[in-house]
Amino acid sequence: MPESPILKVSDLKVTFATRQGPLRAVDGLSFEVAPKEVVGIVGESGSGKSVSMYSMLGLVRDANVSITGSVKFNGREILGLSDREMQPIRGGEIGMIFQDPMTALTPVYTVGWQIIEQLRAHTTMTKAQARERAIELLAEVGIPDPRTRVDNYPHEFSGGMRQRVVIAMALSCNPKLLIADEPTTALDVTTQAQILDLMSKLQETYNSSIVIITHDMGVIAEMAHRVVVMYAGRPAEIGDEIDVVRQPRHPYTWGLLGAVPRVESRNDRLATIPGNAVSPLDIPEGCAFADRCEYRMDICTKRPQLQGDHGHLDACWLTDEQRVSIRSKATP
Amino acid sequence: MSDDILLKATDVVKTFSTKSMKFGRPNLSTAVNGVSLEIRRGETLGIVGESGCGKSTLARCLVQLLPTTSGSVVFEGTDISKLSRRGLRPLRKKMQLVFQDPYASLNPRRTVGDIVAEPLRINKFGTESVIQERVRELFTTVGLDVNSLTRYPHEFSGGQRQRIGIARALALNPSLVVADEPVSALDVSVQAQVLNLMADLQDKFNLTYLFIAHDLGVVRHVSDRVGVMYLGEIVEMGDADELYDRPMHPYTDALLSVVPELNDTDAPRRERVILNGDVPDPSDRPSGCSFHPRCPLATAKCKEEKPTLVEIRPGRTVACHYPKNLG
Ligand SMILES: Nc1ncnc2c1ncn2[C@@H]1O[C@H](COP(=O)(O)OP(=O)(O)OP(=O)(O)O)[C@@H](O)[C@H]1O
Ligand SMILES: Nc1ncnc2c1ncn2[C@@H]1O[C@H](COP(=O)(O)OP(=O)(O)OP(=O)(O)O)[C@@H](O)[C@H]1O
Ligand code: SF4
Ligand code: SF4
Ligand SMILES: [Mg+2]
Ligand SMILES: [Mg+2]
Repeated sequence: MPESPILKVSDLKVTFATRQGPLRAVDGLSFEVAPKEVVGIVGESGSGKSVSMYSMLGLVRDANVSITGSVKFNGREILGLSDREMQPIRGGEIGMIFQDPMTALTPVYTVGWQIIEQLRAHTTMTKAQARERAIELLAEVGIPDPRTRVDNYPHEFSGGMRQRVVIAMALSCNPKLLIADEPTTALDVTTQAQILDLMSKLQETYNSSIVIITHDMGVIAEMAHRVVVMYAGRPAEIGDEIDVVRQPRHPYTWGLLGAVPRVESRNDRLATIPGNAVSPLDIPEGCAFADRCEYRMDICTKRPQLQGDHGHLDACWLTDEQRVSIRSKATP
Repeated sequence: MSDDILLKATDVVKTFSTKSMKFGRPNLSTAVNGVSLEIRRGETLGIVGESGCGKSTLARCLVQLLPTTSGSVVFEGTDISKLSRRGLRPLRKKMQLVFQDPYASLNPRRTVGDIVAEPLRINKFGTESVIQERVRELFTTVGLDVNSLTRYPHEFSGGQRQRIGIARALALNPSLVVADEPVSALDVSVQAQVLNLMADLQDKFNLTYLFIAHDLGVVRHVSDRVGVMYLGEIVEMGDADELYDRPMHPYTDALLSVVPELNDTDAPRRERVILNGDVPDPSDRPSGCSFHPRCPLATAKCKEEKPTLVEIRPGRTVACHYPKNLG
């Protein structure tokens, strides 16, 4: 990587002590985000996508949580910082967008008030300056008639418009990094297109990096330069978007891509992954995917490490020759 | 598939009066605004459209779980929209529903065996041992372990619960299964399992499906024919491959162009059409063509004159003054 990463996550582990025993929500996640890079984190429900991001930002407020590893933002370790130390970073240098815009917005204040507060907390702007900037931001994210709308309450906006407001808030302090957790999952496809389009445009204007979390491989393919495929709290495969989508290496990624029904073509039966997602209370010591993997071997009871060339890594014991032979049979 | 018509709906309208008052009168919202369609025996008719466009309301009207405001629904030769509750009863078991949320649609206090046996008991399917035999058979059919009959819904995963819902729907050998977003709550890998199961069951029992979803990929995958809904109306209908490959309505065209796809081939992409604005509210329907405020092709005529659904070719209908891909 030519430039030093804006974000470097190493061996992040997040464990919740529960009555049923330790729940390993994130179990050794490592990845990097370069400046101006869009990294997509994809995985099925419960694979630890949200918990990994929230724990990095110090937002997992659970007394029973234990978080280890390292998270470097701009070269500085941010894991374990106090709330006071995190304050200028969260909402300042790191902007956040959530699935449900109402988690980021307070229903009892106007959207303008909320953006102004955010600006005042992170900059030296006066109230009047902040208000002008808020109107500018609303215009930038495509809210019609921003000078009037700035005084509206969140419930006076549609779902898509609210998500635009949240994006305006996230951008208010020119963040170097935007973390978006399923920003379009609650939206219709035409609204999703508007929001993804907006995010891409803003990313270019602001030169920020983005980490986008989603369970939709299509969204990843559209938005991300690099992809992290998560399974059971662990990275199964990491690589450039084009490599992961066109030359996937991990059996879980094969299943995930084959299971997506497509708009551009039709096949009689979809590829499936047998069984159900592994319980995070009961992740095997070895490969987490072993129970559902049709290529399981004896060695798979040992945990495979992420490895590979040219930035395309995966955690699986299959040899290159085995993969080539499996894939040549699998593709029609 | 044959051309044998199982269900024929003509001009179905469903109006709700909502609480908020407009000009001192209750607000009327037409969720389904004159839908006509036919479902052929053995086929899957897919209905797509965005949130609030009236898919679920239409489905409920077609099986008369909701009374229609006007219009008729003829099922196996009987106009069920004119029947009393009692007159409907014998036909109910022939039309079954599978719902989106497998969590909410199963009674948490009953064992899954009882849940599947319930329609059999209500309809006096046979002696208890005949019913138990049928339940075991249904469990095997949908790929559930017969040893799990005495367990409760919360002990099952989302995909397994959807299988339980399907087993219950199939219990009385229905001729029509209406599936309202049956896989929307499931992860893709589990979604694929359930879609494949539904396809297998259709082949095995010659089932007819009305399949409702907002996911355009899922609908293409399962459907023989597809209807596209916008603001309570069918704006385009046709053979699934035809409609997806050569959409005629500007709304269908825009919808299909913005589905995020894996760019795993070098095939050229559709040109993306990003629509402006939000889906309007059915209580505040635009004049003329309902789609005109968002339509990239709208003209003055579209604001005033409402296009009707016309048959361009046999089986291919579209409601637009300027349809695309006519050639
Ligand atoms: N406070 C908590 N206490 C115990 N377990 C938790 C807690 N928060 C999350 N988990 C568990 O951690 C695991 C990972 O959850 P996470 O929310 O990160 O999944 P996700 O990949 O974001 O899934 P989704 O796609 O459904 O949002 C899940 O099994 C979840 O139940
Ligand atoms: N019982 C009701 N009373 C009043 N309005 C209703 C009622 N049920 C539905 N509606 C309205 O009718 C319209 C159509 O709703 P419907 O649930 O059929 O849409 P849908 O296409 O199934 O949407 P979704 O994809 O979100 O499930 C919406 O505007 C909805 O608010
Ligand atoms: S390590 Fe073994 S079990 Fe795991 S994905 Fe690879 S082949 Fe399958
Ligand atoms: S009738 Fe006019 S506004 Fe309506 S879809 Fe056709 S071109 Fe667009
Ligand atoms: Mg999540
Ligand atoms: Mg619905």
